[in-house]
Amino acid sequence: MKKKLLAVLMATALVATALTGCGDKKDQGGAGGNNGGDSAGDPVEALIASTEGTVNLSVWAAEEDQDMVKGWCDAFAAQYPEVTFNFSVGVQSESTAKDTVLTDPEAAADVYSFAGDQLQDLVRAGALQAVVIHTDEVIARVGGADSGAAQAATVNGTLYAYPATADNGYFMFYNKEYFTEEDVKTLDAMMKIAADNGKQITMQYDSGWYNLSFFIGAGFELTLNEDGTNNCNWNGTSADGISGVDVAQAMLDIATNPGFVSLTDAEFVTGIKEGSIIAGVNGTWNATAAAEAWGDNYAATCLPTYTCAGKQVQMASVAGYKMFGVNAYTANPGWAMLLAEYFTDEAQQIERFELREAGPANVAAASSAAVQANPAIAALALQSQYAILDGCESSNYWSPTESFGAILAGGNADGTNLQTLLDNLVDGITQ
Amino acid sequence: MMKKVVKPIIRHLVLALLAVIWLIPIVWLLATSFSSYQGINISHFFPEKFTFNNYLMLFGAADTVAQFPRWFMNTFVIAIFTCIISTCFVLMVAYATSCMRFKARKPLMNVGIILGMFPGVLSMIAVYFVLKSIGLTNSHFGMVLVYSAGSGLGYLIAKGFFDTIPVSLREAAKLEGASEATIFTKIVIPLSGPIIVYTVISSFLSPWMDFVYAKLILNSGISTDWTVAIGLYNMLDRSLINTYFSRFCAGGVLVSIPISALFVIMQKFYVEGVTGGSVKG
Amino acid sequence: MKSVVKKIGNIFRNFGESVAKGNLWVKLSLIIMGAGYLGVGQVAKAVLMTVVEAVFVLYMLLVGAPYLSKFGTLGDVQYKSEFNFATMKNEVNNYDHSFMILLFGVITIILIVAFLCIYIANMIYVYTLQKRKEQGIAINSFKKDLRSLLNERFHITILALPVLGVVVFTIVPLIIMIAVAFTNYDQNHMPPASLFTWTGVENFKDLITTSTTITFGYSFGKVIIWTFVWAFFATFTTYFGGILMAKFINNPKTKVQKLWRTLFVVTIAVPQFVSLLLVRYFFANTGIVNTICSQIGVTDFLTKIGLVREGLGYIPFLSSPGWAHFMIIMINIWVGVPYQMLIATGVLMNIPNDLMESAKIDGASSFQIFKSITMPYMLFVTGPSLITQFIGNINNFNVIYLLTQDVYKTTDQLLANSSAKEVDLLVTWLFRLTSEQYNYKMASVIGCVVFVICAIFTLIAFRRMTAGDKEESFQ
Repeated sequence: MKKKLLAVLMATALVATALTGCGDKKDQGGAGGNNGGDSAGDPVEALIASTEGTVNLSVWAAEEDQDMVKGWCDAFAAQYPEVTFNFSVGVQSESTAKDTVLTDPEAAADVYSFAGDQLQDLVRAGALQAVVIHTDEVIARVGGADSGAAQAATVNGTLYAYPATADNGYFMFYNKEYFTEEDVKTLDAMMKIAADNGKQITMQYDSGWYNLSFFIGAGFELTLNEDGTNNCNWNGTSADGISGVDVAQAMLDIATNPGFVSLTDAEFVTGIKEGSIIAGVNGTWNATAAAEAWGDNYAATCLPTYTCAGKQVQMASVAGYKMFGVNAYTANPGWAMLLAEYFTDEAQQIERFELREAGPANVAAASSAAVQANPAIAALALQSQYAILDGCESSNYWSPTESFGAILAGGNADGTNLQTLLDNLVDGITQ
Repeated sequence: MMKKVVKPIIRHLVLALLAVIWLIPIVWLLATSFSSYQGINISHFFPEKFTFNNYLMLFGAADTVAQFPRWFMNTFVIAIFTCIISTCFVLMVAYATSCMRFKARKPLMNVGIILGMFPGVLSMIAVYFVLKSIGLTNSHFGMVLVYSAGSGLGYLIAKGFFDTIPVSLREAAKLEGASEATIFTKIVIPLSGPIIVYTVISSFLSPWMDFVYAKLILNSGISTDWTVAIGLYNMLDRSLINTYFSRFCAGGVLVSIPISALFVIMQKFYVEGVTGGSVKG
Repeated sequence: MKSVVKKIGNIFRNFGESVAKGNLWVKLSLIIMGAGYLGVGQVAKAVLMTVVEAVFVLYMLLVGAPYLSKFGTLGDVQYKSEFNFATMKNEVNNYDHSFMILLFGVITIILIVAFLCIYIANMIYVYTLQKRKEQGIAINSFKKDLRSLLNERFHITILALPVLGVVVFTIVPLIIMIAVAFTNYDQNHMPPASLFTWTGVENFKDLITTSTTITFGYSFGKVIIWTFVWAFFATFTTYFGGILMAKFINNPKTKVQKLWRTLFVVTIAVPQFVSLLLVRYFFANTGIVNTICSQIGVTDFLTKIGLVREGLGYIPFLSSPGWAHFMIIMINIWVGVPYQMLIATGVLMNIPNDLMESAKIDGASSFQIFKSITMPYMLFVTGPSLITQFIGNINNFNVIYLLTQDVYKTTDQLLANSSAKEVDLLVTWLFRLTSEQYNYKMASVIGCVVFVICAIFTLIAFRRMTAGDKEESFQ
């Protein structure tokens, strides 16, 4: 029964993410409209026919995925016995791929994986090749043009990347020893239990990726303009009639609660191993660590509600995807596209799930029983109805939000007027 | 009488206290490198369980993070060549500015001093594209060039040392018909042991310390090409630190061993080199 | 300054004279540089000079001129790429790469200047040769010229490679960095996909502007003040710390001096990126030091006396403004004092013994000796290196970056809005602007400021030293 419910939830979630996605994308109805490849016959055959000599392809993948990706490369080569491939697989952390690629796009790998929030910047810098082979199939596999995954990989109606995982978001981990399913519905209850036990729950305040949760949850907006700058109304009043100051005050109240502490990712893991942290907002990449530390008491769910101006407001989140992209400067765009497509196929996404607990972006892979039974991925699916799409953040977004979060995490030690803080924040984000 | 006993004890106690302060982080490095806990242990200074595993992993495990022997070799080779080129450059510039007189000498020296103060971080993107346009990114030779090409600017200390070599020695040789080249190789070089050691050590060390240029230039992501600095730095990546911190420490210890050995052995020359040069700056 | 102008004037006068009074061979050298040597029968040199000229002309035609012609705009053909389904490749137009235009433009300009110098010198030289021949003075054979490169012109031989290295890897990048400061090279104008172009002094104006959208002016002020405060403390704490430690260890009353020295030296033998990163985790908010401090009650004590904010629960060693500034200087002492101690040890050993002895006989206390003999001597000997260290500390990227990157989060929103932090030096700010924001134009402007600061300090410091040219007096 529960599994079925999850499947339904996931499906609705996918639609919901599409609806709450970043603005400014209205003209993208048919994301794969320009699939010119069909007129030229089967692109794969054409590709094989036009290939001479060895095909050199370089790939960048995260440290943890090295062996897996090397295996895929060999398997890919085996599919085309008539072509000689020469692969080189390099290490590039997905979270910093953009930094390395943008320094010199021409030197970046032919196929590289990156976190979805970098897509806009990569496209604007011309570092991503538009997907022109099997475009419609790629879109169909992740749930159609209106799915969150396809939208997250699309800029101005053009598909630029192959969604590989749909798990680059966050949700709530908790220890069942302390919390019931009822407790984890409100942050207030959780903080009270933690404080009563002399323990703490955590969320990283000094990161714009996490702390937008409060604002988006309260109905505020963050959208991206054509030129890569942000629109942000957090210092005003939201669509839900909540003022920015209320949200900031609520964040401040949480930060100063003895049952709460703001910790970074690495500190979160240390904390749960130490036992001082009994619940926290984090993502699937730390699911294994949490499961190991808490054993049978390990559980995960969507984010709770927080108290804002006397009301309970659901915390939002970012629905992020990890993707494989093809370098626009590759010498072999055809083969690079096929390789990236292969990397993100159903079988590969399932393998990746089995090895790394990575939630698949592929609809078929995501609906498998094993995936549905995974607590972290289930929690993510549950949370995705409250999520916005990744990639709304301009490069000027991160530094101001980090500082804003750090000020609130420190209890606003200077006692600065909250409206001033918000005004400065918005000035910084929208500069 | 009491004073005579107490004073030396206090003196040595103070020294011991200072030494402890100085060594605590190093001890922590050592202790963590033997820890069976892979992340950062924040509750205990000394690990609860000691293991040799971190060292074995650096050499044994084939995972890309821990290609330690390869990184070590790469850095070693780069360091050797950097060291040879830098030492030659420094000695040549020092000889030209100290022992020879020519028209452009003063302006060259002044420009050299100013450029020598110029931090490499400032223009790294331009250096990268210069290297790229001659096709030397992702090559160890390119790294050697970056580390050693500008080394001539560090001539000042060596020049100061050469200034102290009595001019009469060179005059005498000239009277016997020796050319400048002969004087340089046969008279000045053999007299400059300390400054050569100083230059050798400091140029040998730079590839072990630098991670900014190394990361920028070796950007193919192929971890077998890395130097020790990039490799170890990479272990502290957000997603890796919780499993690799103790191995990072083990790597740190291994890198420090040869460098400490160099320092201890060469301590005497090093001091002579530094001070001999700075006497006359 | 006047003399420089005069000298240049002389060179041109000589050049004019050579052209006017030279014979046919010399005049022919205006077109074919080797001609003048043929006139005096030096075939090898004639070939050599003509080859140099030919290579230069070839370079100019093939590489130099095309890049130089676009130097004024830094290119105007936007990158365009289209996937061709027939060949399965991208078809790219003949686009302009602004950075390459800038790079090769600068290189070409340098080459032109260098070539002009050679060209003029060549003319003057061949005319001298002609005069010598007319006067019947022996002319060096090519072999003899070569041999002179090992003797009276040995400096050319030994300076050639080092100077080339400096030009390619220091001067060219430096000029490019300065040039970028006058362009709009940032995230929205990144080649090859986009072009960037000259914008004049716009960026310099931004650096001193503080408005709601531009907070560079505010950040610049803060960062530069901390840069100087840091450089001052970092230099003097380690300098005097090193001297005191050396005095302490070298005192005859200290036993096993070598052991003590080695103990301290171990810390500088660990590469900085290891020791500093280690210390960063050592002093982390949830690090081992904090755990111990809270166990033994130090945290509570500091909270009570107001040094740690109420309710924080840990000591923000590297994460709050005051503490981080203090800790950075402390950690720098840890890193820097042993090094200074080594140097001071060497210098102390060189203090003439008779000075000390006579002072002792006169009944001077050890403090008096230290004050009036040791310190003045130390300052005399190591003074210049003090300046070098000061400048080195202004640019001490490693210590600041390794200790605070990813750990220190600023709570000053105006700083945050221009990606600066309270603990940033100009160099680390610049580095983060490039590696995280791709804001090359502002980074270059800051780079120019750093360069000017360094140059001023160096000039002041070394003018005194080289002014009287005391070099000979030591020899």
